[in-house]
Amino acid sequence: MAVESLSDTLWDVVICGTGLSQSLLALSLSRSGKNILHIDPNEYYGGAEAAFSLQEAEKWAASVSTPEAQAPSLFKSASITKPENVEDLSFPRAYSLALAPQLIYARSELLSQLVSSRAYRQVDFLAVGSFFIVKSPSAPSEPRTLVRIPSTREDVFSTSAISVKAKRGLMKFLKFVVDFDNPENSEKWKPHAQNPLFEFLQDQFKMDTELQTYIITLTLSLDGRIETKEGLAIIHRHLSSMGVYGPGFAAIYPKWGGISEIAQVSCRAGAVGGAVYMLGTGIKGTSAADDGMELELTSGDKVKTRMLVRGYEDGTRDAGISRLVAVIGSPLKFLFEAVVEGAPIPGVAIVAFPAGSLTTAAGNASASPVYVFAHSSDTGECPTGQSVLYLTAPATPDSKELLDKALEFFLSSVGETPVPQSLYHVYYEQYAGMTPPASGTDDLAISFPAPSFSLSFDDTTLDPVRGVWKRVMGETAIETDYMAFPDREGAADDDIYD
Amino acid sequence: MADSANAPKPSSSVKLVLLGEAAVGKSSLVLRFVNNDFQENKEPTIGAAFLTQKCNLPTRTIKFEIWDTAGQERFASLAPMYYRNAQAALVVYDLTKPTSLVKAKHWVAELQRQASPGIVIALVGNKLDLTNDGAGSGAAESGDDSGDARKITTEEAKTYAEEEGLLFFETSAKTGYNVTEVFTAIANAIPETSLKSARGPGASHAAGRTEEQRVNLNGPRDPNAKEGCAC
Ligand SMILES: Nc1nc2c(ncn2[C@@H]2O[C@H](COP(=O)(O)OP(=O)(O)OP(=O)(O)O)[C@@H](O)[C@H]2O)c(=O)[nH]1
Ligand SMILES: [Mg+2]
Repeated sequence: MAVESLSDTLWDVVICGTGLSQSLLALSLSRSGKNILHIDPNEYYGGAEAAFSLQEAEKWAASVSTPEAQAPSLFKSASITKPENVEDLSFPRAYSLALAPQLIYARSELLSQLVSSRAYRQVDFLAVGSFFIVKSPSAPSEPRTLVRIPSTREDVFSTSAISVKAKRGLMKFLKFVVDFDNPENSEKWKPHAQNPLFEFLQDQFKMDTELQTYIITLTLSLDGRIETKEGLAIIHRHLSSMGVYGPGFAAIYPKWGGISEIAQVSCRAGAVGGAVYMLGTGIKGTSAADDGMELELTSGDKVKTRMLVRGYEDGTRDAGISRLVAVIGSPLKFLFEAVVEGAPIPGVAIVAFPAGSLTTAAGNASASPVYVFAHSSDTGECPTGQSVLYLTAPATPDSKELLDKALEFFLSSVGETPVPQSLYHVYYEQYAGMTPPASGTDDLAISFPAPSFSLSFDDTTLDPVRGVWKRVMGETAIETDYMAFPDREGAADDDIYD
Repeated sequence: MADSANAPKPSSSVKLVLLGEAAVGKSSLVLRFVNNDFQENKEPTIGAAFLTQKCNLPTRTIKFEIWDTAGQERFASLAPMYYRNAQAALVVYDLTKPTSLVKAKHWVAELQRQASPGIVIALVGNKLDLTNDGAGSGAAESGDDSGDARKITTEEAKTYAEEEGLLFFETSAKTGYNVTEVFTAIANAIPETSLKSARGPGASHAAGRTEEQRVNLNGPRDPNAKEGCAC
């Protein structure tokens, strides 16, 4: 590509926003030889999937702090609190807090694309370890305890946490899920496909409430009422991902902020492929032009492009999730133990408070589970000796209080004295994306949906990206070329000792 | 091929980013270091380029993952992505161009503000062959009547580098003078602790396998892995 000025170039695609979808698109198109201008109105990469230092987090939180949006945003009600004694907090830049941490199952199509595009070489992945539930005590005076969920047949076999009868039920269920799609098993679940999974477990497998919560937790269902069909598919994904990249784990997490890191790596690869990047630059106006459309950028530049791709930038206010990110002054070591011989030390552990296990001061029981993703300092998200907790629950008038409660109970259930302290909190609410308003150039302007709330990466996110790639490549699109690129010079000679 | 009969030396990767004004010779320094080559009319970098090169130290091997960024202003937005999590940065200026040192100082300030706290920064004055100190014949060909195109004294840059705690070198990508030295000095300056995954007692025996906890997507992926059980 020749070096020309922004406005002299006819861009094949202008991409606005640097979240995962847009960044993967930039990677795929630029490396397929298209002329890409990639801009972002924010001063940081990653959009709604960014990872922030404490300084950046504060700046961001201030911009989305009110319940009613000042500017279009998927976020609202953000607030930051620093409990009294914050001496233990390190440099602001020693932290990289992820806005939307998601674990990625080994069987995810995202990983296949990162491998075939060779972008994976720039990402460090850590294993996601055990899933736990916080068990409420039988007597109110006793402490809550963490119970590890046995999620493989070996695990079920060796656990001492459940009765022999329960073991048999669980074994039977895991065996069923492995082949849940065969005709015989389908017959069993299809009539209940749209009913809640927990009912199916109760009716068909005679599981008690506790065993049901084990299974529901593995699905990471936000409201705890996942449908049978979807739930079985997720448990199946969990089991079939186990061991794919090594013993003892089913999912992985990219170091330095999860999905945010993948978005950045994609932009870097896009830049190596020739895409031009501008931060702090958004789109002020669009109009039709001869070869496509003309965009007026907030920088004052006018650029011509054949197509514009952006994301849903404004949130609806009816469905959302509440998130609480807490930096903890303890490494919470026992959460990050490899439980299988030869397994890597996990950087992420998952803990759930089952629905109903928390109560507000006003006496309202939690209608949904609260999930706690615990990240060790190996993720690069906090300094050694600390850890980061990411708590999530559906947004309700009670959710902030429930998340605070969950944090407090979690810290006192980990069995450390003194009870580990929380050094820094970021609370915020995230909403679903609203379809952007129509403009006169709709056939040339495409919008990607806002990131899903899912706590594990949702492969359907990738479909619109592939769709746009195909459309831009037009007649020359060869499906098998999508995201298939050779290594860059020198990158392939992996760690061979000279 | 191992040149010693003993166990292989520990090997670790170091992410390094090059920053500096357009045309100061960033890509040329990398080309010299990686391929021991020089191109008289090198194309400006578009976006960025990625290369790797190993550096053998007496006690360990460092694999540099080098991000060579474009110096042109219109690519400036890229820089944060490259210096993020970088363990080393090479900030380059052109000894014959005063504005390039001003730009270099901007980059150093930005790195100190935004990059990882422990980043090792080297300040490099390039195109030494165009000055009287040029180790080689460049000065005569530079077209400058005095034979010395130097506009930035060694003293000025060196004093600044010392104040800011930077490594400092004057180089010529053209003759190769001091180029390997820059990278070796950086490799030596990276603290041993930042090479190991600091993982507490249990892992200390594994000093020689610094990346063992990383999940390798290209490893012996087991296509038949299924059902998460060993039955
Ligand atoms: N005489 C002399 N010329 C050099 C030296 N290093 C680079 N050059 C020349 O300077 C010009 C620019 O070099 P590049 O390596 O492309 O510069 P760059 O910093 O990568 O430039 P951008 O990619 O645009 O940021 C080329 O014509 C090189 O041949 C040197 O040490 N001595
Ligand atoms: Mg260059």
